[in-house]
Amino acid sequence: MTQETTTAAWNDIFGAVEALYDLGWTDGLPVLPPTADKVAEFLAAGGRQGSEIVGELPERRREITAEKVAANAVMAGCRPEYMPVVLAAAEAMLAPSFNLVGPSSSMGGAAVLAIINGPIVQELGINSRNNLFGPGNRANSTIGRAVRLILMNACAAIPGLYDRSVIGHPGKFSYCIAEAETETHWTPLHVERGFAADQSAVTVFASEAPRQVRSVGHPEAILYAIADVASSLGTSLSTSGSVGDPAAGIRQGETVVTIAGNSGLWKDWTKAGVKEFLHSRIQRSVADFKRARVFPGDLEPGDEERMVPLTASPEDILVVFAGGEESNMSSVIPSWGPKVGSTSVTKEVRR
Amino acid sequence: MHDGIHVEKAGLPSATICTDRFIPTARGMAKMWGAADYPTIFTEHPIENLDRWQLRERAEGLATEVVTILTGS
Repeated sequence: MTQETTTAAWNDIFGAVEALYDLGWTDGLPVLPPTADKVAEFLAAGGRQGSEIVGELPERRREITAEKVAANAVMAGCRPEYMPVVLAAAEAMLAPSFNLVGPSSSMGGAAVLAIINGPIVQELGINSRNNLFGPGNRANSTIGRAVRLILMNACAAIPGLYDRSVIGHPGKFSYCIAEAETETHWTPLHVERGFAADQSAVTVFASEAPRQVRSVGHPEAILYAIADVASSLGTSLSTSGSVGDPAAGIRQGETVVTIAGNSGLWKDWTKAGVKEFLHSRIQRSVADFKRARVFPGDLEPGDEERMVPLTASPEDILVVFAGGEESNMSSVIPSWGPKVGSTSVTKEVRR
Repeated sequence: MHDGIHVEKAGLPSATICTDRFIPTARGMAKMWGAADYPTIFTEHPIENLDRWQLRERAEGLATEVVTILTGS
């Protein structure tokens, strides 16, 4: 069902901020008032009618209208021209294969990472370099925040009630990056996923927090360290319960890997080659899974040598060239769960 | 909760068991679906650490309540 629109009045900006707290519409930080004029301006910038259904969350009886998306984008501090990106992110996370009710309610504490590709990155100045996951850039900060406010206000992912994250993570405030695709020979993520290079797109990924990987400046050394971090016990991928492929015994799932630094270092590598290298090394022994009681039973001969991959296919590793040029810092971001629970989705930014 | 409520709405008696840390969430879901009085059995949290024998013991302790809800008596 489409939620009714609530209206409120206030005398000044401070009264508005307090009124929005009283309405329960914030993420804990102050939000801007979604006045009727501003919402209309954002809808026009997104080229949508307010009543248009962007997507549905049937388990919570919610139809998410463009008006709700616009109101939350205003509150998050977006500029009107960000609206097509916010709309694409909303459409993507409301796609059936993303199964939003899972990652937005689970104790696993996922955030929705939005990865932006295409010409819109340059046009809007979306950061793909230094402080990739950090503060300081309006587009990244507010687009990611809009995604969270849409989840909380339009999709009822209310902390403690329907969002039962045990620890959550800072990406649940804002989690938006771009790929530095103009600075690498690697195929951009959205092109790998079927879009044209001159299209813009948003990929959403229900995921844990980024784990930084620090390594020396040699491709194989960097990938070896990334694979080691991605093979950790204790991620969603390396646990049992709700497994996709029962034969695997663990959840498996997807992993986003960001690789920073100078792209010249990777001149002899393709993304496909990076994925193949990582896929064959992101694994853990049956013995370790038994010690961690992920698998039942006592250790048996051969358990130390028998390895279980944490991703089913190289295509389940999403490689993104992003992060500062200054050094070879990478990150590993495990998915919230198995692909049957939630799969990353890419949608075009329509303009 | 969602599945139990919908099975019930489809005419098949259902009994839903939920751990007690999720009481507000369960009540909220029931209210959201217009079934605020949907009978729910709450058991002590957690159950994910129980082995199959402990889980069976827990289930046996709830069996009478399940039958009461399913049969309405």
